[in-house]
Amino acid sequence: MPFEHPSPSSSSSFLQGQQDSFALLLHRMTHRIRQSLELSEILATTVVEVRAFLNTDRVKIYCFQADGSGEVIAESIREQRLPALLGHNFPAEDIPETARELFQKVRLRSIVDVARQQIGVSPMVGDGTQVNHDLEFRPVDPCHIEYLTAMGVQSSLVVPILDGEHLWGLLVSHHSVPRPVDEQELQVVQLVADQVSIAIAQSNLLQQTRQRAVQEATINRVTALLHTPEMQFQAALEQAVSALQGCGGRLSLKLHADQPQIFTLGAQPALPETWQSDPLLSSLPLEHHPHWQTWLDLEESANDCVWAVTDLYRAVMPSDLVLALLEAEIRGILIVRLQYRQETLGYLSIFRQEIDVERIWAGRIDANDPRQQRPRQSFETWRELKKGQANPWTQADLELAQALSHPIAVAIHQRTLYQQVCTLNSNLEQDIQRRKQAERKISALNAKLEQRVLARTNELQQANQELRWQIAERERVIAERQQAEALLDRLSHQNELILNSAGEGIYGLDLQGKITFANPAAARILGYEVEELIGQWMYGLLKHSKSDGSPYLLAENPICLTLQTGVMQHRSDDRFCHRDGSTFPVEYVSSPIHEQNKIVGAVVLFKDITLRQQVEQMKDEFVSIVSHELRTPLTSIRSTLGLLSSGWLNSYPEKSQRMLEIAFSNTNRLVRLINDVLDIERIKFGKVTMEKRLCNAADLMLQSVDTMRAMAEKAEVTLNVTPLSANLWADPDRIIQTFTNLLSNAIKFSPPHSAVHLSAEFLSDSASSSPESSVPLTYIRFCVQDQGIGIPADKLDTIFDRFQQIDSSTSRSQGGTGLGLTICRGIVQQHDGQVWVTSQIGQGSCFYVTLPLADHEQTHLDH
Amino acid sequence: MNKRILIIDDEPDIREATQVCLELAKGWEVLTAGSSAEGIEKAAAEQPDVVLLDVMMPDMDGLATFQQMQANPSTRNIPVILLTAKAQPADRRHYLQLEVAAVITKPYDPLTLADQIAEILD
Repeated sequence: MPFEHPSPSSSSSFLQGQQDSFALLLHRMTHRIRQSLELSEILATTVVEVRAFLNTDRVKIYCFQADGSGEVIAESIREQRLPALLGHNFPAEDIPETARELFQKVRLRSIVDVARQQIGVSPMVGDGTQVNHDLEFRPVDPCHIEYLTAMGVQSSLVVPILDGEHLWGLLVSHHSVPRPVDEQELQVVQLVADQVSIAIAQSNLLQQTRQRAVQEATINRVTALLHTPEMQFQAALEQAVSALQGCGGRLSLKLHADQPQIFTLGAQPALPETWQSDPLLSSLPLEHHPHWQTWLDLEESANDCVWAVTDLYRAVMPSDLVLALLEAEIRGILIVRLQYRQETLGYLSIFRQEIDVERIWAGRIDANDPRQQRPRQSFETWRELKKGQANPWTQADLELAQALSHPIAVAIHQRTLYQQVCTLNSNLEQDIQRRKQAERKISALNAKLEQRVLARTNELQQANQELRWQIAERERVIAERQQAEALLDRLSHQNELILNSAGEGIYGLDLQGKITFANPAAARILGYEVEELIGQWMYGLLKHSKSDGSPYLLAENPICLTLQTGVMQHRSDDRFCHRDGSTFPVEYVSSPIHEQNKIVGAVVLFKDITLRQQVEQMKDEFVSIVSHELRTPLTSIRSTLGLLSSGWLNSYPEKSQRMLEIAFSNTNRLVRLINDVLDIERIKFGKVTMEKRLCNAADLMLQSVDTMRAMAEKAEVTLNVTPLSANLWADPDRIIQTFTNLLSNAIKFSPPHSAVHLSAEFLSDSASSSPESSVPLTYIRFCVQDQGIGIPADKLDTIFDRFQQIDSSTSRSQGGTGLGLTICRGIVQQHDGQVWVTSQIGQGSCFYVTLPLADHEQTHLDH
Repeated sequence: MNKRILIIDDEPDIREATQVCLELAKGWEVLTAGSSAEGIEKAAAEQPDVVLLDVMMPDMDGLATFQQMQANPSTRNIPVILLTAKAQPADRRHYLQLEVAAVITKPYDPLTLADQIAEILD
């Protein structure tokens, strides 16, 4: 129920009632506004309630357009009082710019009383200097009066409606008769306008929310379409075109660099003819043409992703492209770059056709009518229809387009990935097929190969076995060779050792007679160093002569003969020449060296036989002496026995007797000689066992002297003895034999009436120590001293050798064999003693014998 | 004319036995010398028909004695028979190279010796 204005005749109760009605009106309007979210309902309610409150003929809400014109979007009228203006548009000139600025800046409210031709204004906010909320009345512009009058209005109330700081519209009250408006009414209407402002803000929010919801729904649908396995780009395009109120669109997908995929909907431009001239470019879709790209780069766009051309007639773009679009009846175009991670994956293009715009105007303005320069006199309704108008792209359109680009780009990317995967899968399948085929071939080849491998393996096994056998054989040969080499090394080493150690000289010659090797003995014997011999010509360096010293001719040289004939030569009486020029007897063998049945040289093994010759000579001499010593008594025996056996001496008994004596005597001599020789040999080789026992030296001395006393008396030689008692560990018979030998010799070579003396004394190890010293006495020294003819100094060293008698005739005449002293030396040495002689010619000789004492001997044995 | 034989030997038993043998077997006059020097002197003085010369003697061996006799014109032509106890073939070959009448090795049969001397004297 609209508010009814009370009668002005009321008094204070009226004022109270008026205030209550104001409050009620405000409460109800606020309630109505809050009740609905739809702005049209709110506005419709508002004009009804306000007219009821003001009780005027018309209350309308005038909404400004962007161009300054306006439209009555809500109206409440009292029938038959003022014409309806709902839906009528008023040109911008009806409310000039200055007036709009006052409405907007100071929220100016105006009350016009046409009858009084006054206007009351009341700004809501100051202009920065002063604020006066009271109504100020002043004369109104006549034009304004004329305008209102033309509209049939006598009283008007105008209150601006702001949307934030933006002049949204006006709340206008018209009355066909004069009617004053007080400030209270003004305040109420102002409060209502404020509520309308709030409603507008709410409505805007609601509209934005709805718009956003629609956008979200569109995006979701598009996303859902693109999230299907089929990736319904065509359906997505339809959704996008529909959401953006397009007449058509294109979706260019850059799935592959060379084969873009195009989805189209509705009207489509053809590729401009000028672009088709290039055969390479003619096959390209519009979006991939270089001119398209160039144009996009030059064209200003929102955030580099969205290009919006509302009116192609006014667009700065290639004319041929414009013509192509216009030919398809496309007036506006919205292009969205589809990019994913900075990579352009395609373009979404939305086309809009031109549209017809119909507006209802209150009164016609005719620019050619001079009356239009004046306030309009007529507000007759007329309809304006504008055809072929461009349909501008709103910010919401741009945002929606940009928002749609993301899921599409993602889908393209996914499609690309999917296609890549498909391609990869396809390739993989082809690979798998190829590999299967290859595997089959490989299997077949493997089978063949296995057969070949088997055959080859058998061959290799056989070869391997053969090889192993060969290796084993080779290893065996190598081992044998190594053994042989080791043996050769050992033999070589042994040969080297033998050659180096050999006492015989050994040297080798080549076929030309040059020395190829020589051992140290050869070098030493010849007086050279080994190095001096190597490479020397043997005939020039080593003079070679026969035993008589005459040199060999080269042709006769036995070594040369060996080289020439290959026959081994042996000589034992030739002489080699020493480096110092002296010669020495040699025994040598020259043997040929054969190699592969050819004589390549000779080896000469030689020995200096100087010592051997001396020994042989000594042996010969010894044999001669023994022979002589044996044959001499044999000669006497045989001669005498021969005479006796011949019978010639039968008549001469004296001579026979004499011959028998000679034979007997020489037989004894022969026996002694043989015994002595045998003794010497047995003693020499240790075959005579000394039957040692403890005996006294004095006893041995006395027994020896007693044995020889008869011989001494016969020779008229005085035999003295100075016995020394001492224990000896000795063979008494052999010691007595020694003493008697020495005494016998002394007696033999002593002149009559001379004396032979046997004495003894103790000796210590130190020759200088005296018997009184504290040094232990270890030896006893016997001395057989004579006054005989003496022994020449040059015989002193040899007199103990065999058959080295000074005067053999005398000795033999005395029954000597020439072996006595030799036997003495052997016996003494067997007792660890020594025997020697000192002598002076004409004065006699002293034969000394030292023997160890028994205590020492016993001690020695104990140890 | 009775033949005269000089025996030079340092062995008195050999000298005596040989002397008895030659005197009884052949009736020759036998002279003896106990040393080389005595033998050379007797050879020169007595001019024996044959000299029996022992090779090994202490003062001078038989070879040296023979050379001295060869050197002496008075004894150069007296046949000399070497008596030697050295029986080595080399020694014998060496002696035979000398201009001696014979080389007889000891021990010898006295009768055979007498026959050999007789052959030389013949």
